Amino acid sequence: MIELKHLRKEFEDTTPLKDVNLTINDGDVIAVIGPSGTGKSTLLRCINLLEEPTSGEIIVNGEVINSKDCDINEVRKKMGMVFQSFNLFGHLTVIENIMNPQITLLGKGRQESYDKAMDLLHKVGLASKALNYPDELSGGQQQRIAIARTLAMDPDIILFDEPTSALDPSMIGEVQSVIGMLAKTGRTMVIVTHEMDFARKISNRVLFLDEGGIYEDGSPKQIFEHPQKPKTQTFINRLSSLEYAMNYEDFDIEQVAEDLQSYAEKHLIESERTSKVQLAVEGIVMNNLLEMDIEPKIIVRIVYSEKKDLLTLTILYSGQHWDINSSSNILFLSLLKEPTTEVMDERLEIPEDGCNNKIVINFKWQEVE
Amino acid sequence: MKKLLVILLALATVLASFACCFAAVSSVEKIDELDGKKIAVQTAVAYEDAVKDRIPKATWDYYTTPNDMILALESNKIDAYLIEEVGFAAQHYSHKELRRLDEAAGSIGFAITIGKGDNQNRLLLEVNKFIEESKASGLSKQMYDYWVTNWNPEECFYAIPDYDPKAEELRVAVEGAYEPFSFEVDGSLTGFDVEFVCRFCKEYGYRPVFEPIPFDQISPATENGKYNFGMNIVATDERTESSVLSEDYYSCDIVFVVEDVYDDGIGLLEKIGISFDKTFIKENRWKMFVEGTGVTILITLASLLFGTLLGFLVYLVCRHGNKFLNGVAGFFNWLIEGMPTVVLLMILFYVIFGSSKLSGTWISIIGFTLIFACCMFDMLCVGCGAISKGQIEASRALGYTDRESFFKIILPQAARHFLPIYKNDMVSLIKETSIVGYIAVRDLTKISDFVRSRTYEAFFALIATAIIYFVVEGVLSFVISRIQIKIDPKRRSKDKILDGIEQWD
Repeated sequence: MIELKHLRKEFEDTTPLKDVNLTINDGDVIAVIGPSGTGKSTLLRCINLLEEPTSGEIIVNGEVINSKDCDINEVRKKMGMVFQSFNLFGHLTVIENIMNPQITLLGKGRQESYDKAMDLLHKVGLASKALNYPDELSGGQQQRIAIARTLAMDPDIILFDEPTSALDPSMIGEVQSVIGMLAKTGRTMVIVTHEMDFARKISNRVLFLDEGGIYEDGSPKQIFEHPQKPKTQTFINRLSSLEYAMNYEDFDIEQVAEDLQSYAEKHLIESERTSKVQLAVEGIVMNNLLEMDIEPKIIVRIVYSEKKDLLTLTILYSGQHWDINSSSNILFLSLLKEPTTEVMDERLEIPEDGCNNKIVINFKWQEVE
Repeated sequence: MKKLLVILLALATVLASFACCFAAVSSVEKIDELDGKKIAVQTAVAYEDAVKDRIPKATWDYYTTPNDMILALESNKIDAYLIEEVGFAAQHYSHKELRRLDEAAGSIGFAITIGKGDNQNRLLLEVNKFIEESKASGLSKQMYDYWVTNWNPEECFYAIPDYDPKAEELRVAVEGAYEPFSFEVDGSLTGFDVEFVCRFCKEYGYRPVFEPIPFDQISPATENGKYNFGMNIVATDERTESSVLSEDYYSCDIVFVVEDVYDDGIGLLEKIGISFDKTFIKENRWKMFVEGTGVTILITLASLLFGTLLGFLVYLVCRHGNKFLNGVAGFFNWLIEGMPTVVLLMILFYVIFGSSKLSGTWISIIGFTLIFACCMFDMLCVGCGAISKGQIEASRALGYTDRESFFKIILPQAARHFLPIYKNDMVSLIKETSIVGYIAVRDLTKISDFVRSRTYEAFFALIATAIIYFVVEGVLSFVISRIQIKIDPKRRSKDKILDGIEQWD
């Protein structure tokens, strides 16, 4: 069991963790999520004292590990860590990377540690690479070996610091499946990650970090489907879609363009389609709706469906209905007529989110002929 | 093919330069004709004071040994040089092409500087008395005739007699490469100065210890107490004020020397043969080269070893970034690396260990140990700094202690970065040791000076010296390269990696 009491960590210019209180039970698989810069990694690195907390207590199995009497090296032997950048020892072969810590730290014999290492290499599917050097392997392979190295120490607790962030998308899967396998073995695991699907699948508890501490703590279902607090909600929603709800005057087209750009990059949407969406938003919201002399509410939502390869722009607004074909923007009108664009423009009988008008435009991938 | 061309080219250059040594003729007859010319004089003898008024437009070049002045004259770097008649007599024996101007430039008395110390006054009284007596008894005249008037480098020799080991030690600074006053035959020091001091010691019950140091060092080193006697000092007004000088123990004229025509009828090849014989065979001079090489290797290896250890220790202490320790280490690093090596050595020899009896060889080892420790420290800083922080974190997170992490993870990786630099620094160290002659160490370079001062020829001594340095550097570099390969983790065989494992799949 790990307990954090009033944990505070200050750096010279920031204080990522102000007052963290947390109890991690044995066998918990905890995913730590949150916007960048909220101290997720710092929290993890405090648990094995790679970062010395400014104040507060860290108690592992009843022992205060950040007190002077505690031999931190003994604690660390039972607490593995997997890093974002793998950190395999460059001068040692794969097999030695897994063997040497066992020999040096656990006092095992060479044969015994070799057998254990080979067993683990088989488990992570890399037995054939035993005599290779780390720099001869792909990122995904290196990370699997780093996990095997950690496992060779038979740790009770494993800390994962963004284990897939430095990997090509094609390699994320192999590493995630190894971690998934581990999660079923009953070890306590704390995983800092940006992969939400992975976090949801693997964990039994999710911590959302913000405002210098644990902002929301709950089951994966709660955090991902029914987040209780506003920042969690915004964070979770932003991940799957872009949504803006505001008054006409506040509408910031620059912000939309910027968000759209990063959203497109994340979901690998080609830039042609992204600029079409932007043109549509400008055409509808900026040139037409904003010119109407009313003060209603407007909601812009952009969603990308990977399965259908469909980028959908939904605009909801209240007040009088406006026919999009009456737009004066020629570029916008020609966009609507393109074969890859599907347009729905309707008045709603039952208002949705307080709006009674709805425009839906689907952008399909343009086939090359 | 390319290599062969390079070798041929090098050989041609060498032969051409060898031939060049036998050229240039001067028609100067009178001292006044030398006005406006370039004239050489030995550093610290102050002979030029005697003639400066007569030839005010002459420019003066200062050389460390008389031998260098001959070489400078023969390679036309200077038009004439000024030397005491005695020295010229010795030089003329081997260099018939040299000619002195008939008119003497002046007459100079030579004295002994008496070093600082409790015994300074007593020594001064005793030596003055001895000088007076030997002038009266005719001993002075007799010695002068033997060493100067009838000078014959093949025969003139004075063997240093045995002394009572319990007798008070008298440390004597001599030039060591200065015929006929102090020079080496078969590795033992002899000459006018040597005989004079030995006779004095016999008479007054001292035990002389001679140390050859560069001429310009004799006066300052004796004055600050490093030596009791400094030989062959010209008493200028300035010197009489700052140091304690004996009466003149001999005096002679100083003369200008120019180059003249002289054909000995010996062919070039034959000349080469003769000078080879002079440089290596005669008086077993090759043994001196062997001895000098040994000293150079000793200083190099000892400094390498101690310097590596010291640099390593300092790095270990400073590794954790303690501000105070780093400040101290940084200061010494800055001090030692910022100083020319020769200055550092002289400070160690004359100032810090000025009154200790530590030999020059040990002081060189101390000096180069400090210098190499600084290199080692820098190498470790750069090498270990190049290892990513992740490597340290990963090892610490596994439970490695700080020490285990450093020795098992960081250092083996850093070694791959800094060993090539280590090799370079080692080669520069070997080359830099060539200056230890400044503090009375008979290393390879100093030996070649000694030999050149006897043969009055530069060619073979210098070439041989260069070749020996190349060989030593080559061998040491090779050893380091082997180590480099040996400790390169990536060059290990499968058996080595899986050492101690019976079954593998």
